Amino acid sequence: MAKSKNLFWSFFSSVKLTVVLLFLMVLLFIVATFLPPPSDAQEINWFNDLYHSPLFYVLATLFSLNLIICSLNRLPVAVRQLNAPCFPPPAGIFDNQERERIVLSDKDMTAGEAIVKKFLSAKFSSPKKSEWKNGLLFCRERGRFSLFGVYLVHLSVLIIIAGALIGSVFGLEGSMNLREGETSSLIRLDKGRGVHQLPFSVRCDNFSVEFYDTGAPKTYRSDLSFFKNGELKQTGSVLVNHPFTFEGVRFYQASYGKADDNRALIVYNSAGKESAKITAKEGDTFDLPRQKARATVLRVEENIMGLGPAVKLDIDTGKRNIQFWVFQHIDEIARANPDLFAEVPLFNPGLFAPLVFSLERLDNRYFTGLRVVRDPGVPFVLSGGILLLCGLIIIFFTAHERIWLLLERQPEGIKISVTGRASRNQAVLERRLERLCQNLSKELAI
Amino acid sequence: MTHTLILSYVTFIYFIAFVFYLFKMILQKDAWGRLASLATWLGFLAHTLAFILRWKASHDMGFGHAPLTNLYESLIFFAWSIAFLYLAVEWRIKNKSLGVFVVPVAFLLMAYASIAPGMNTRIEPLIPALQSNWLTTHVLTCFMGYAAFTVAFGCALLYLWKDKKERSAREEKSAVTQKLPSLTVLDALIYQSAALGFVFLAIGIITGSVWAHYAWGSYWSWDPKETWSLITWLVYAILLHARYVRGWRGRRLAVLAIVGFACVLFTYLGVNFLPSLHSYT
Repeated sequence: MAKSKNLFWSFFSSVKLTVVLLFLMVLLFIVATFLPPPSDAQEINWFNDLYHSPLFYVLATLFSLNLIICSLNRLPVAVRQLNAPCFPPPAGIFDNQERERIVLSDKDMTAGEAIVKKFLSAKFSSPKKSEWKNGLLFCRERGRFSLFGVYLVHLSVLIIIAGALIGSVFGLEGSMNLREGETSSLIRLDKGRGVHQLPFSVRCDNFSVEFYDTGAPKTYRSDLSFFKNGELKQTGSVLVNHPFTFEGVRFYQASYGKADDNRALIVYNSAGKESAKITAKEGDTFDLPRQKARATVLRVEENIMGLGPAVKLDIDTGKRNIQFWVFQHIDEIARANPDLFAEVPLFNPGLFAPLVFSLERLDNRYFTGLRVVRDPGVPFVLSGGILLLCGLIIIFFTAHERIWLLLERQPEGIKISVTGRASRNQAVLERRLERLCQNLSKELAI
Repeated sequence: MTHTLILSYVTFIYFIAFVFYLFKMILQKDAWGRLASLATWLGFLAHTLAFILRWKASHDMGFGHAPLTNLYESLIFFAWSIAFLYLAVEWRIKNKSLGVFVVPVAFLLMAYASIAPGMNTRIEPLIPALQSNWLTTHVLTCFMGYAAFTVAFGCALLYLWKDKKERSAREEKSAVTQKLPSLTVLDALIYQSAALGFVFLAIGIITGSVWAHYAWGSYWSWDPKETWSLITWLVYAILLHARYVRGWRGRRLAVLAIVGFACVLFTYLGVNFLPSLHSYT
């Protein structure tokens, strides 16, 4: 490795570069959050959408390269650490031993060895043994995998970046507005990238919104049917936090609104003789049984002048035109204003005598705003996230630890010296060694 | 509304605890330290009780959700996490000097929760976007992370203060700084709390991503809150790498921990002044 180092390699293997790149990315993000977001799709340029700007892509590419090469560069070190033999132990490891790390006993070597083995085998692995000077050296190792936590984290970051890339290249992001009863297979792609045709079509069967007593929204729900080649394949409901997936395309409840074509249920009758119910929206016309007249719905209003729902009709008899409003709550309005029809004939629903019109109700039709997403990168990002967590936990909550225990013959018994090395958190290991020594001396005193 | 009453007492108790920690630092009497600890413990227990009562109250009102759903409740929980983590650290290092920097943060958060204008303290049913099993995990882990960063921040302030004192008075060993934890211990504490916060924030960001995947249709939308949490995470990533690989210790690490905490505060509160999808907190 050392020979093949060239300029490229040494540039990208520097941790200084990592820190500089991270710093630049942080700077870019800070600037980006303060820039106003593009107000519409046409305005998108690299300046107000820094997250998708060439500048960010360059930084992300440099960062990925840096991560790969740094990891490759340090891998041999980790492998060396992994394969480091227990024997001989690092030089001078038993020098300057503290008094607390030495246990003396009048037992013989065989008894000592049995007790040492018993304590060192207590967890996970049994100790290795070797002849050493005038005694026996034991070594117990644990948490080897801890050395690879860092690599796991770096790998997972790369997997997440790869997943994001896959998503942005092969993914699909758009939205569609469907009126109740409407069927469509077209979605509007984000950022003004045009319209995309799905290989199937979606119908919104029903949209409903529920409210709490406080007036805050409780549930938004769209019931959808999916058709392929004119055939109903599946039905399902989409709620906020509960998307529905059909053929790898996920549908999310994103927004809703009132469809602009409110339908009015209009009733007319003439002294109980002729009567009819008509459903019409703004601009619709219908025939009347008198004077060959035709009625046109000029306006449909949900709440006009604070008097509630009303429609404005124009009746054309061929000779003259009569226009008037038909209020849903005409009885209440007339009761409150006794001379209403005399003062405002326009409010009289019986203006085209003998027919009297009434408005039974307005059918509010909603449209549902769906987000439509296909992202093949999600499994990568998810597994990257899980690996990242595993890696972090390995790095910060486990350590590669090795304990050496030297059992020596003494003129009047045996001497046990204990020492150890940890890849991190030496203090924790020292506490463990202290406990080990206490247990050993207790056991050997018996 | 017992919980509201208890919380206002808790705010006061944290303030008293801070004053005791201050006395302890200035007067160098252990008695003040013990009083301060006692006050913090009392505040923490009452705080926990109020949290549980508020949870129960939401059940009695018929919706039943963990009290982690708006700015007020998050401030209360943030302060709770700080008190919890601080007491854990105090118990572990057996030293009470850190409190003077950490406990006031808990107090300020509680005070802000009760006096900020327009703060909505009512218990309200969940709007559709918040009706998710990920809510509790996401909020819990994020705030444990923030709390760990707060402890790192406290350690960093203590480090810089002690370091300055020791430099200016190298000859006559300053009596004030003698009883503080050693610089090595503080340095290790900065690192350990930052690492703990880093892991929690990572879990917070990942659970947030999973939730966003279900709620918004995208695991990452470059929403300012998301971006700032990533900024915070990266700043602590720089800190951890600077220490582990480049061997940064002491003052430089402490300065980074303070910069990181500024990012935490901006992620938590500052972002609300930017247009965001996270408008509920």
